[in-house]
Amino acid sequence: MTQIDLSTVEQAVRRHGDGPDAVVPILQDIQHHYHFLPPEALEHVCRLTRITPASVLGVSTFYAQFRHTPAGRHHVRVCHGTACHVRNAPHVQQAIEHHLELGPEQDTDAARQFTVEKVACFGCCTLAPVVRIDDVTYGPITPDRVAETFREFQQTAADAESHAPRHATADGNGHVGEIRIALDSCCVAKGSDQVFAAFQDASAAFGAPLKVQRVGCVGMCHRTPMVEVRLPYAEPIVYSGVTTSEAPSIVARHFRPRRLHQRIGRAVNDWMDRVLYNEPKPARRHAVDVRDPTIIEFLGPQHQIATERFGEMDPLDLDAYLQHDGFAAWRRCVNNHTPEQVIDLIAQSGLRGRGGAGFDTARKWRAVAAAQGHPKYMICNGDEGDPGAFMDRMLLESFPYRVIEGMAIAAYAVGADEGIFYIRREYPLAVQRVREAIEIFEQRGLTGDDETDHRRPLRLSIREGAGAFVCGEETALIASIEGDRGTPSRRPPYPAESGLWNQPTLINNVETLSVLPWIVRHGPEAFASLGTEHSKGTKVFALAGKVKRGGLIEVPMGITIREVVEDMGGGTLDGRQFKAVQIGGPSGGCIPAALADTPIDYEALHDVGAIMGSGGLVVLDHDDCMVDLARYFLRFTQDQSCGKCSFCRVGTRRMLDILDRICQGHARADDLAQLEDLARSVGQSSLCGLGQTAPNAVLTTLQYFHDEYEAHLEGRCPAGRCAVLIDYRITDDCVGCTICAQHCPVDAIPMVPYRIHTIDDVTCTRCDTCKQVCPHEAIEVI
Amino acid sequence: MPDVTIDNRHVSVPDGSTVLDAASALGIEIPTLCHYPGCAPQNSCLVCVVSINGSDRLEPSCSTRVVEGMTVQNDCDTVRAARRTALELLLSDHAGDCIAPCQNTCPAHMDIPLMLRQIGEGDLAEALITVKRDIPLPAVLGRICPAPCESGCRRSASDDPVSVCMLKRYVADQDLATGSPFVPPRQPDSGKRVAIIGAGPTGLSAAYYLQQSGHQCVVFDDQDQPGGMLRYGVPEEAPERDVLDGEIDIVRQLGAEFRMNTRIGHDLTLQQLRDDYDAVLLAVGHIDDQLGGALGVTMSDHGIAAERATFRTDLPGVFAAGGSVRQTRLAVRSVADGKDAAVQIDRHLAGNTGLVVLDTYNSLMGRLREDELADYMLGAPELERITPAGGLKRGYGPDEALTEAQRCLQCDCSAACDCRIRQYATQYEADRNRFRGTRRRFERRVRASDVIYEPGKCIACGLCVEITRQAGEPLGVTFVGRGFDVRIATPNDQSISDGLGRVAAECIDACPTGSLVFAGGTSASCGSHPPPTE
Repeated sequence: MTQIDLSTVEQAVRRHGDGPDAVVPILQDIQHHYHFLPPEALEHVCRLTRITPASVLGVSTFYAQFRHTPAGRHHVRVCHGTACHVRNAPHVQQAIEHHLELGPEQDTDAARQFTVEKVACFGCCTLAPVVRIDDVTYGPITPDRVAETFREFQQTAADAESHAPRHATADGNGHVGEIRIALDSCCVAKGSDQVFAAFQDASAAFGAPLKVQRVGCVGMCHRTPMVEVRLPYAEPIVYSGVTTSEAPSIVARHFRPRRLHQRIGRAVNDWMDRVLYNEPKPARRHAVDVRDPTIIEFLGPQHQIATERFGEMDPLDLDAYLQHDGFAAWRRCVNNHTPEQVIDLIAQSGLRGRGGAGFDTARKWRAVAAAQGHPKYMICNGDEGDPGAFMDRMLLESFPYRVIEGMAIAAYAVGADEGIFYIRREYPLAVQRVREAIEIFEQRGLTGDDETDHRRPLRLSIREGAGAFVCGEETALIASIEGDRGTPSRRPPYPAESGLWNQPTLINNVETLSVLPWIVRHGPEAFASLGTEHSKGTKVFALAGKVKRGGLIEVPMGITIREVVEDMGGGTLDGRQFKAVQIGGPSGGCIPAALADTPIDYEALHDVGAIMGSGGLVVLDHDDCMVDLARYFLRFTQDQSCGKCSFCRVGTRRMLDILDRICQGHARADDLAQLEDLARSVGQSSLCGLGQTAPNAVLTTLQYFHDEYEAHLEGRCPAGRCAVLIDYRITDDCVGCTICAQHCPVDAIPMVPYRIHTIDDVTCTRCDTCKQVCPHEAIEVI
Repeated sequence: MPDVTIDNRHVSVPDGSTVLDAASALGIEIPTLCHYPGCAPQNSCLVCVVSINGSDRLEPSCSTRVVEGMTVQNDCDTVRAARRTALELLLSDHAGDCIAPCQNTCPAHMDIPLMLRQIGEGDLAEALITVKRDIPLPAVLGRICPAPCESGCRRSASDDPVSVCMLKRYVADQDLATGSPFVPPRQPDSGKRVAIIGAGPTGLSAAYYLQQSGHQCVVFDDQDQPGGMLRYGVPEEAPERDVLDGEIDIVRQLGAEFRMNTRIGHDLTLQQLRDDYDAVLLAVGHIDDQLGGALGVTMSDHGIAAERATFRTDLPGVFAAGGSVRQTRLAVRSVADGKDAAVQIDRHLAGNTGLVVLDTYNSLMGRLREDELADYMLGAPELERITPAGGLKRGYGPDEALTEAQRCLQCDCSAACDCRIRQYATQYEADRNRFRGTRRRFERRVRASDVIYEPGKCIACGLCVEITRQAGEPLGVTFVGRGFDVRIATPNDQSISDGLGRVAAECIDACPTGSLVFAGGTSASCGSHPPPTE
């Protein structure tokens, strides 16, 4: 065996220290470098540090990020978030495995080019289903497009060297207009970064007096890439679904070139382009009037607090943030209020934690403020792991300074000295932006500036999660930072009394922190005037699934599910009544359309069996099988269980066993009763929130869709979704066009032109591709 | 000193006490698997859950600190059901056999692995005691028994089963050959008298055990010699008469009285016996409705109607067992019935009329898959099954018996006697089959090491991880993986002994199952006689 270069290990130890708590970041560096954890490197870690072999083994096998076997050259990550699941992700996964000729239990192809991994959720739900190869995100992907996607990736990878990175040219001088393009993860995935570059190129080529401006998320994911053109004395014009080739003509339409030869050149080029590529001039339909009724429906009911000034600012432009009242709330707190007054103010606002459980924020703060001990810690919980939720990622990517300001306010109120961002590793852009924001923020000295230098400065740092949903639970999160396996512990003691390093610790969710500046600036009454009796203010939701207009929305509490789905979201894709909404992710439940008038309110949602959760709202239509969905969530929680307590570790697995039997058509009549019984036991006795809420998906579907379960017992899947219970048939309407045969990812349909096609049941994976591509609607599910 | 109430009883306990501590102060035992003195609460088994202040949620009592005025429910249906579920969940993922499959298949549940160990060690006297604890007529059965135990022997899946039946006969023959065979000790005379009708295998067996318990048995039979089917019903393979007489004589030496040529329902009525004796056992073998009518007992399809678990008929004080209640031609089953009926009659005579006897919980792995079998056979003695050189009629010689006994794979769990999960599973009447699911793979590691670790039996309680961590063991053991697949392992693929280091004995003591045991530390028999749980 060849010796490997261990200098990476030494560098990692220098960066992160030699204490037992450095184990996760050190392993992350090793994983990043080698794409797996070579045993020699791990032994070297134990030699160089106080980290024990037991700790390395325990930790490296707990977090999903770490691999113990070498990986292929490229990483293929298939998102299995809720939105992706209901949009066929399992078959995409299957098609990828088929394409790479992976055997069972294999994750890397024979040529060691690609390693395939399942990911809980990328938070790009409106692009579902999503596949990421290395850093390139593809979505939506269909099983028949898999081969093409891999070809495209390899082509792009080959081209990559020839393209130099482009830098922003904006210098702020002489610009008369501005083009704003949102560049958060999902927009980038849809090609916004290329559009951004195209506009930079176009503006340089035209010599147009404009600034191409990167901004944060605009929420209208269904319209991305979106480009907003702002000219002095004119209404902004928004273009949606813009492609790179359209950049020159959009620039040309709004900005007059500065010099004559550029004008002539442009005209010639424009003409040449059209002649050579036969490209039609971009049609007017791309321009979106902000008075467009669908935009009004989508934006109208929204109330931006956490997402205040969305789509207006460069996320990392501190000056822009300061110009728009940035840090004004924090200054007001430290200059005009005692910490107790700040807590009182938040108490008056009625703010409850946005992480899921809805605990009273001021009460939590009071407990930390009252706790004895120094230092005190403040943790921003950015371990948003619910499949189907991505608002925290968006807030961190688009408003990093706002979250920092929220941290500073909370830290002041409770007397914390050190702030830690805990951000899941699936959000690289969020980590990068927060890191840069902290650097800029600290360089500018705002932590101890003239007005407040009598205060202790707040030290900020980032810890990246390593792939464990359970670490969103406070005590598990703390264990993870301390370098342990992320297993929750019993409360009390609460982190408020004894948290990180046994010190008083405040843990608040990203969204909770994001609304603090607004509350301070506008007053608690303004916040409390929104919402319902016990649920005040707004909530950010990720609206995805089978809805026409998906995206991120911030709505006042109390708005009904129907208003969100039908009015804002425009209803389902096929225009029929939606079947249910899944709200609250794996801890939440499925609410049927019959209860669509349920308001978004902590108690009201709890009463119907769901929870507010972190804000995933996935719309389901009649093609979605509720038993399959319950199984999907159980599989998720089962997979994410830390494995500590018996009810969760074994109980969720046994529930999944039953659901597997039901979906495969060999359940017994008493299985439904046993499933319900076990679900109640797991909810009643599990140690932490993960296990306690894991049964909700099962219990709500059993309650509202019992007939679907019963149909499965009889061997039928009414939604035509459970592969074992359905078959695809080609009807007499088939004209023999071979399109289905061409698209079938597993060659289950022989190529027989002009003859009625047939499907081989044994080979068929029930991926639905044929049905989707057939131009004659000649394929049915039986 | 907060005041708490547990099951309506009050107690004051020091600040910082847990509910478990408070219960203990009241003498209330709360079951727990992952609690161990000196270790922080692990919160992993959740068998110790209780309901607090009437809450719907249940809380682990080992880590819940008491506060003034707390009300705890420890003995309500909800709590009992939750504990049972916790046990059933843990056991649904517990791959191991409490008792060896051979013992499980033996109708008399004789502790075969123990007998084989004793033979292998040359301790025939102890081996005989082991045999006679469950089978009073081993020399006879050793000649006629079809040996269902051998079909259960795990070795039969690999080569040939251990020759259990022949070895049992060898042990008994050696004893009879001494001329003064072993007569088990008797309890002091209880003053109770039991009439046993029928001197066949069931009746003889019942008399053998009831005599040991101190009761005076009188065995009635209409034949002129005792033995029943063993003497009159098996003409082809009839055991040598002196062997049968020898073993019956031991029953006689224990004090049982035989009244031959006496026909009940003719010479004596059942009512007379009920008047004269404290209990009556009907062990008459096959019985038709006419005879049943003559006796005055209620009949069922297969014979006398008797409760399966207690052997009680509808006549108070009258029991029925063996061929008179079910169709069996298996002598060992009749013998087993006689023994089990003796236990019930003894309980009846002691006045324990209302108590239910709980069946001891046994975890069963069932059939092993091919790949598992390879693991199972690792390090097993490579010996072929021995056929007696002197012919089957003569049986084994001493060397042959010793070698054959050493072929045993020792499939029984060496922790079976003090296994807490087994004890609680019995107490809470856990159902082994409540949660169907794929069984986890059997693995046994390091048969030759001083500590044996069986991952399949581990319930991930965390105590060994905690104990090695507290002791600062340089290597230690840790959890590996997460969720359902979580396991315990030593780093760098080193042995479990290396990981446990100096605290191995403490870890083995703390282990609530047989997952961690000392090699060769197999305890005395308790397989079919676990610690009493009421």
